[in-house]
Amino acid sequence: MKDLKNNGEEGSSRRRFLKRLGIGVGAVSLAGVAGTAIISGKEAKARSGKKVKLLSPDGKLVEVDQDDIKPAKEIVAALKDEARKGLPDRKFAMVIDLAKCKNARKCVEACQEGHMLPKDHEWMKLYLLQDDIHTAKYWFPRPCFHCDKPMCVSVCPVGATFKRADGIVLIDNQRCIGCKFCMTGCPYSARVFNWEDPKVKLPPGHVYDPETNIPAVEGTVGKCIFCADNLRRNELPRCVTACPMGVIYFGDLLEDTVTNGNETVRFSQLMTDRAGYRYREELGTLPSVYYLPPAQRMFPVERGLEGTDESIKGRYKKAGPR
Amino acid sequence: MSVMKKNIISKVLLLSFLLPLSVKAYTQEKTKISPYIQLQYFKDTEDQRVLQTTLSYSKDRMELPLPGMEISFFKGGVTRELISRITTNNKGIARIELGKDLKLPVDRDGMWAFSSEYMGNDTIEAGKSEITIKDVRLEMALTETDSIKTISLKAFIKQNGIIKPVPGEVVKIYVPRMFSLLPIGEVTLDETGTGTLEFPSDLPGDKEGNLTIITKFEENQVFGNVERKVIQKWGVPTEYSVPSSHRALWTKTPPMWMIITLSVLLAGVWGHYLFAIISLIIIRIDAKREAAKGKYKIQK
Amino acid sequence: MEADKKLIKDLTPEIEKTSLKWYITFFIFFAFFAAGIYGLILQIDKGHIVTGMRDNVVWGFYIVNFIFFMGLSYSGALISGVMHLFHTGWRKPVIRMAELITVISLVIGPFFIFFCIGRLDRLYFLFIHPRIQSPITWDVIAICTDLIGCFLYLYLSFIEDFAILRDYADLNVAPWKRKLYKALSLGYSGTERQQKILSNAKTIMAAMIIAIAIIVYSVLAWIFGVTLQPGWHSTIFGPYFVIAAVFSGTGLLIILMWIFRKVYHLEEYITKRHFVNVGVLLTVIAAFYGYFTFSDYLTKWYGSIKMDSILIDKLFSDYYSLFIFANYIGILLPCIIIAFPKFRTIPNITIAAVIAITALWVNRYIIVIPTLETPFLPIQDTRIDWIKYTPTWIEWSLTIAGVSVFAMLFMLISKIAPIISISEMQEKDKNEILK
Repeated sequence: MKDLKNNGEEGSSRRRFLKRLGIGVGAVSLAGVAGTAIISGKEAKARSGKKVKLLSPDGKLVEVDQDDIKPAKEIVAALKDEARKGLPDRKFAMVIDLAKCKNARKCVEACQEGHMLPKDHEWMKLYLLQDDIHTAKYWFPRPCFHCDKPMCVSVCPVGATFKRADGIVLIDNQRCIGCKFCMTGCPYSARVFNWEDPKVKLPPGHVYDPETNIPAVEGTVGKCIFCADNLRRNELPRCVTACPMGVIYFGDLLEDTVTNGNETVRFSQLMTDRAGYRYREELGTLPSVYYLPPAQRMFPVERGLEGTDESIKGRYKKAGPR
Repeated sequence: MSVMKKNIISKVLLLSFLLPLSVKAYTQEKTKISPYIQLQYFKDTEDQRVLQTTLSYSKDRMELPLPGMEISFFKGGVTRELISRITTNNKGIARIELGKDLKLPVDRDGMWAFSSEYMGNDTIEAGKSEITIKDVRLEMALTETDSIKTISLKAFIKQNGIIKPVPGEVVKIYVPRMFSLLPIGEVTLDETGTGTLEFPSDLPGDKEGNLTIITKFEENQVFGNVERKVIQKWGVPTEYSVPSSHRALWTKTPPMWMIITLSVLLAGVWGHYLFAIISLIIIRIDAKREAAKGKYKIQK
Repeated sequence: MEADKKLIKDLTPEIEKTSLKWYITFFIFFAFFAAGIYGLILQIDKGHIVTGMRDNVVWGFYIVNFIFFMGLSYSGALISGVMHLFHTGWRKPVIRMAELITVISLVIGPFFIFFCIGRLDRLYFLFIHPRIQSPITWDVIAICTDLIGCFLYLYLSFIEDFAILRDYADLNVAPWKRKLYKALSLGYSGTERQQKILSNAKTIMAAMIIAIAIIVYSVLAWIFGVTLQPGWHSTIFGPYFVIAAVFSGTGLLIILMWIFRKVYHLEEYITKRHFVNVGVLLTVIAAFYGYFTFSDYLTKWYGSIKMDSILIDKLFSDYYSLFIFANYIGILLPCIIIAFPKFRTIPNITIAAVIAITALWVNRYIIVIPTLETPFLPIQDTRIDWIKYTPTWIEWSLTIAGVSVFAMLFMLISKIAPIISISEMQEKDKNEILK
């Protein structure tokens, strides 16, 4: 059984109710209604008693109190507000075990599926790195590092990307003007740009929420968001659960615990035992993603090239020390 | 007909009879999914007992749930009695609460028997899972002496009014975290059914230092899943807040020196612009006055 | 206001009538402009995928052109401002052209930014949700300030000319032009008091323009300088860009001098002396530019920082010819041509200016693109256009459209106001009479 840190609050807050509405259709019995109106939570207000007939997404005719209908714009504004505040008393971090990664690419696929990304957008990217001819070759999964001193946030002219108190850096695709300054600001090439209309088929009644970042919007920037929508439901990010080797650990640093879905360990213990480090610490951006060095591999690095598509294998032909 | 020919004909007949059958069986195998059904018994810290059945199937070496299937829960072994029928949720799990005071007949080993069954449909085969559970009581005591924190455990069975300890069983201790349970340690109970474990002193708790501690029998062959939970102030108080007024390059409010420098520069520059515009206005006023005086000439 | 009849006769023929050649030239430029607009419509319709920019090289031709045109603008401001403040005698024929370069390229530059922005429909967010910590916000504020300032300064210098034209009865122009001159000259009648006020205002604005030009172009340089990217994270980017801008602007000034001298028969006013003087200015600035470039690349090359070495390797392999052209030929050739008296002819100096301005454009290109092609994490991709930036025909056509618009605007302004400032030239005469 999982212990909810903020139990006892379910259903009482209107915002929490709105949050659940924003995430998925069918989550609530009177689910999202086709068109622009979405039903709000209960409010102590003088009710006019008037009823309105509306069509639900599964084709049922529903009769609803007119007072309960709130325009979608207010919902989106409330969701964006919550998205900027973040989850209280959390500080998220990720630990990636380079000794176990074998380029299975399940993390990439799960991320693309979960966020309805086009196939050539990779928010989680896999590199094959070798710092020097004498040092080890290793597979390097690179999500967004959600830096504590994020260069991308500093240079955004309109505040479309922001860092929240729980450490996650999000993008508001409805504020982004597509100047791409954040992409040149990020030293880790973590951001992708929507050069054309991604043509995403949205579920009915979908409301835009920076924490799901669906849909990708043409002319704006996208990146790994540590699956902020999953975190709000106390679920792990999609790449963590998808990895067959348990390479990615995720957790709250304030609890000093990280888990990869199977193992749960103390973060401080993991760092000291396995000599964890951050990529290019000298850049000073203070990333939230830590790496465990590729020591004592159980299988050779080349195993990662077996069974992969030619188009992906071709990427690593020139991999090696620069 | 010769013997050889008869042999051949009979062999061909046999094959032609078996082949379609095997093909039918093969196609049948291909279309019907063989599910994996698992029945589990849970007793939580308030003695609420729960039976849970997970229905899933294996595809491409990944386990996928089977939602919306009806599971029948039974109590009793040989003579079983239907408790209820529950439909699996979208994670393929069906749960049924049995209540806190469970008075069920025990078999000669002092065990309860439960089973859950899935009847199957056109595409999925039927499946059944059975378990036998002995009702165990798990007690937990937390003591702290000289800043050493100790958890003392005791487990026993009440059989016919007699208390019998359970030696040799493994009890696991966890602290629940946001996504999972953090393992603290394991205790193997001795002959008296007791054990102790030292609890670490450096685990972060919430703002006041509260922690939830769970001790449980986890997937025990005899006892199922039994847990005891308690909230204790054994964690390090942890507070984390970033004030919204924090000034930095990446925050909402910019550093003070930036605002001051920008304001000074802009005021200076636009002040000069104002001066130039005022000069133009003065020229215009002056020119009008000159024109009124009639000093305006047109060059030929 | 009175003016020497000869001056007016020489400097205003193009205001009165338009030749067929003008129309043909204007039409050719307009055709290029139309092709660019067609490309722009395609880009807005299909998305930025039609350009050569991809996830690594996110800034391509458009940003290069933006920096280039802003550079021309600021150099125009610097040159005209400095010339005005130092009362250099020989400046008079060319100062108007410098002011016009300032304003026209300042109007064109921001359009290239617009082409680069993914969501043009949200451009106004820059004004309603600005973040002061972002160098782009600094740039927006700076460009707006600069636009107002340069327009003010240009207008201040035009007032006297408009007054002269308004009062010149023999001027054979359409009535709407006359009305325009009357309105824009604010009734200026050249009295002592008015002259003093105007002169004060011009001096103050000239000083402001110089300060603004330096600040604004430094802010543009810091858009690159404050990032962590190898090649961009250089401490001298601010002054380096300012010097490069003045270099390109001076080159453009020479080219325009040559064009207008030929087309409007102004051989009497723009003499070899002017070419030589501006040419010497070009040489001096070329020397400074060469010094900054050398200093920047020497420190990158000498140190062993890996990312710097990778960038230098790329510059000397993939971009070798462009690098040599921009940083060697572009500096040395103008210097040689102008340094030796034997080579100092008007056509040669103009050729030197053309080389200088082209080299400057290429210099911008090899500042922006090679850095984006060598990020910290290596580009591991199979698609060639994600590894190496290749501009598409749309980017080329919009670049040429930008140049065409520049030419067209210049041609249009020459129909309304004289290319050489009549009032400035008059001042010279007055001084000579006083002597």
